[in-house]
Amino acid sequence: MLVFTRKLNEAIVIGDGIEIKVLRIGRDGVRIGVTAAPAVPVHRLEVYDQIRAANALSVADPESVHDLAQRLREHADAPVAVRR
Amino acid sequence: MTAKNIPERIVTFSEGLPGFEAFRQFVLVASPSLDPFTLLQGAGPTDAPSFVGIDPLLVDNGYRTTLSASDLSRLEARSSDPLLWLALVAARPDGTASVNLRAPIIINPASMRGIQLLAHESAYRLDHPLRAA
Repeated sequence: MLVFTRKLNEAIVIGDGIEIKVLRIGRDGVRIGVTAAPAVPVHRLEVYDQIRAANALSVADPESVHDLAQRLREHADAPVAVRR
Repeated sequence: MTAKNIPERIVTFSEGLPGFEAFRQFVLVASPSLDPFTLLQGAGPTDAPSFVGIDPLLVDNGYRTTLSASDLSRLEARSSDPLLWLALVAARPDGTASVNLRAPIIINPASMRGIQLLAHESAYRLDHPLRAA
């Protein structure tokens, strides 16, 4: 891991135009600004990890997915059944 | 908009999905035997993952989540374009299931680009129950 010391309002640049700047230094946290092209996704790691875990639980077997759909239809909440 | 109205089948997720970043292409499958669910079948290698999704509005008819300019850019969409929303379903061995309303899949039928929305603040759960108790 590359490690930097940055002061308030100092920044680093990654690749072609991704800038990460220290906006505020507080006792419990550091406020960071990220400037990147709109096509570059920027996420908080813990959010990414939560969704990674949720996705892992959502993998479906394509062979049995019709049975799954049947079962889910039977067990689904009313809005699904009514608005289908 | 529902998957049934989309003529194209292959959707590309440029960033993949969290946990499955290596798999970028999925086949959209909608059929009466799947209704109201849509299958997102991993294309390519045999170990490509597949997922089952449902329109989040069918799970919560007040569902509302806004897209950022970055989200729209990655979908190659304008804010008025019709988009397909799919909340991923997690089936449990006991027959119950939950729906990920916090991080829905969004597909732009015009570009066949897809993203998974990773909102850091959301009123919705990653595991909203799908079945009545």
